[in-house]
Amino acid sequence: MNEFLLSIGMGLCILVFLILYRVVFGPGVFNRIAALSTIGTKTLIILLIIGFLYNRVDMFVDISMVYALLNLIGTLAASKYLETVGEN
Amino acid sequence: MIQKSDDIIIKTLARILVPFIQIYALYVIMHGHHSPGGGFQGGVILAASFVILMITHGIKKTQKRISEKAVAIFSSSGVFIYAGIGAVCLLLSGNYLDYSTLAKLLHVAPAEARSLGILGIEIGVGLAVMAVMFSVFFNISKGEDVEEDKKD
Repeated sequence: MNEFLLSIGMGLCILVFLILYRVVFGPGVFNRIAALSTIGTKTLIILLIIGFLYNRVDMFVDISMVYALLNLIGTLAASKYLETVGEN
Repeated sequence: MIQKSDDIIIKTLARILVPFIQIYALYVIMHGHHSPGGGFQGGVILAASFVILMITHGIKKTQKRISEKAVAIFSSSGVFIYAGIGAVCLLLSGNYLDYSTLAKLLHVAPAEARSLGILGIEIGVGLAVMAVMFSVFFNISKGEDVEEDKKD
């Protein structure tokens, strides 16, 4: 079971690097915001997998909940800024 | 930067989410000594609940819930709780923030007095961090022109 979780976690890490391309070079602000929030959700799952690997899920659930919350607030703030300022 | 938005999805989401965020922040503060988190992290989550309220509902509605004067009182009272517990430890002939001397005052075992002392410290830190984080965000989002910028 540990090898299964470890391989899933490493696959997600590789996917994060693929999405990072969209954050850096992505055309427009909307692609960047969407890619950033996708990276946030992937980090959340990776944290939970690390928790399963160390047998301390009860602690890592707390951290990942905070991460999800801050991710939501960051996306909301960025889109709010975009609404008032405009894409340029 | 922040203006009144009419989006009903975001508004409803924030209205439903804010109490749960605050309860979670209190949980992080209270369980700081035997799980990840503590005063600073709980204070940041508590401030995040007010930030999400301000982003979605505008400055005026947020000021009805927590005004600038209340933020100042919260931040100073948080620092007062922190320094006060340390000073009480000093008065009870211990070191600064040496919680085991609080056992004489609370009539409990020294180990339990340490647990209660760190809980009080974390409550103080959480209050101060919440108020300062929120006041920083509040002052940025008001967007007033600074006098020094105009002179240049």
